[in-house]
Amino acid sequence: MKQRNIFGFSSALFAVFLFIAIPIAGAQTETPAAPAAPAASLANPTIQIDKTEIDNGGVITVTGTAPAGLPVYLEVWASEKTVRTNRFDNKKDPKTGQIPYIFYLTYDMPAYYKIFVPTDMKGALDEIKAKGKAWKYSEALKALGADVVYTVPGKMKIDRYKATIMASIIGSRGDLLEPMDPEENRQRSMQLVQVRFKSVDKLLGADVDVKPDGTYTAQVKIRSGLAPGKYEIVAFAVDKKEGGKPIVLKSDSVTFENKISFPVMYLSTAGTSLNIIWPFLLALVVSIFGVLMGAGGGFILNPLLVTIFPLPHTVVAGTVMPTVLFAQGSGIYNYSKIKFINWKLGAGIGSAMLVGGFIGPKLTELITLDQFKFVFGWILLVLAALMFWQTTPGYLAKNKKEQAILKEFKKRAEESAKAKG
Amino acid sequence: MKVEFWGHEFQANMIVGCTGGFLIAIMSSMFGFGGGPFMVPLMTVGMRLPMYIVVGSSLLAIFFNTLMGTIRHYQFGNFDLLFFLIMFPAALIGGYVGPQIAKRLSPTIVKRVACAGLILLALKLLGLY
Repeated sequence: MKQRNIFGFSSALFAVFLFIAIPIAGAQTETPAAPAAPAASLANPTIQIDKTEIDNGGVITVTGTAPAGLPVYLEVWASEKTVRTNRFDNKKDPKTGQIPYIFYLTYDMPAYYKIFVPTDMKGALDEIKAKGKAWKYSEALKALGADVVYTVPGKMKIDRYKATIMASIIGSRGDLLEPMDPEENRQRSMQLVQVRFKSVDKLLGADVDVKPDGTYTAQVKIRSGLAPGKYEIVAFAVDKKEGGKPIVLKSDSVTFENKISFPVMYLSTAGTSLNIIWPFLLALVVSIFGVLMGAGGGFILNPLLVTIFPLPHTVVAGTVMPTVLFAQGSGIYNYSKIKFINWKLGAGIGSAMLVGGFIGPKLTELITLDQFKFVFGWILLVLAALMFWQTTPGYLAKNKKEQAILKEFKKRAEESAKAKG
Repeated sequence: MKVEFWGHEFQANMIVGCTGGFLIAIMSSMFGFGGGPFMVPLMTVGMRLPMYIVVGSSLLAIFFNTLMGTIRHYQFGNFDLLFFLIMFPAALIGGYVGPQIAKRLSPTIVKRVACAGLILLALKLLGLY
């Protein structure tokens, strides 16, 4: 059977983006937990940038002066564009021994977020990178002393749902739980940040060169393919007191804008900019090949899309699926014209598939990108085995007979349709 | 269940059909591919139905799944309109050009090439190279 991968389906724009209100309180002294801190002698760092506009990425030189001898951190984030991020917590809690089954969801994740740490922490950063996929963002922040400057995502609004097996079966997210207290919200936000950005390099960089007199420079490299719009940078100087709470000195925030122009476009649900020509060409080649091999293009297109482009698997699955709707619809119409569909059989199995289709998309949310790739890998192996079986001599001989009957019936069907028309 | 098709009567095992269809539908909607290549063997081998009844009817069954999967993905906010609009014309052209090329190629060879490609892609996804 040839299932063509033609696109169809109209839709309304689906992009509910909440903007984070970022309180830009001028220069101020912040201490995370203890208020009255005697910081009178220390001035807040200053900050300047060399340009306020970049074109689909670029390098921004940040300079300024901080109190001498203190490490300087930069927090950089996209203040205009946010993306949806979710995480399903099904890891056993080491303390209680129970599996929480809680689904965390936020719409406020900045489309870009990175903390730049002083260059002399490069060694510590490399140690974190050496851990590979087992790295933990919260531990890394602590190791670099950057946990006190982690500010913006900590204030995201995060919804949590208690997922139950029953709720997942009927395809609901579960019961919405009470909002978390600020400290827990902050901790959970770090996990979500890691889910969203994954790699150490995307979240942390040792690029702030601090001189002994307190002046600092940093080359903030904004890679291509990021969200357009306004970005903000804030510099922090951290005075670690022996035994006490560290004093965090915060600069004003400076703003620059990332501009993108056609054919680079921003995919709002995915939170990345892409040169749209590449996915277009890929979809074209894959759908032609899909027709040739007699399997929908989704089998090849989806894994390639999540491997080549920084797209979330949920968006890939949710966007490729509707593309075959029209192809299937027109196929059904053509077959029904020549009475080549048994409605009882099709609708009977279809009703079971309707239930399956109701549950599946929910499960996409619950798995991580790595699990998605892993299962998809096995599905492809099964498909490859099926394909190979269809090229074995025994199958071919049987198929030849079947195809002859199919042709004969089609001819008869078409003739009778003509005779009636 | 008895199924009548073009003057012939067939005995269709709906328990096999519905269980298999249900599982294929979950996978297909979860990972966003069409279930055709799995549905056809299920109905021909699993339910012992002849090919000519399967082609049209399996398409109808899959359509149910695609429709529901699309609605659910949309509900969960997994649908990106712009991304869809990029791929829509590509697949449209592909669906038109594909059959033209298919006429000139041996399906057996294409399937063997596809088979090798799928294994390579699968190993890549499983992180084996």
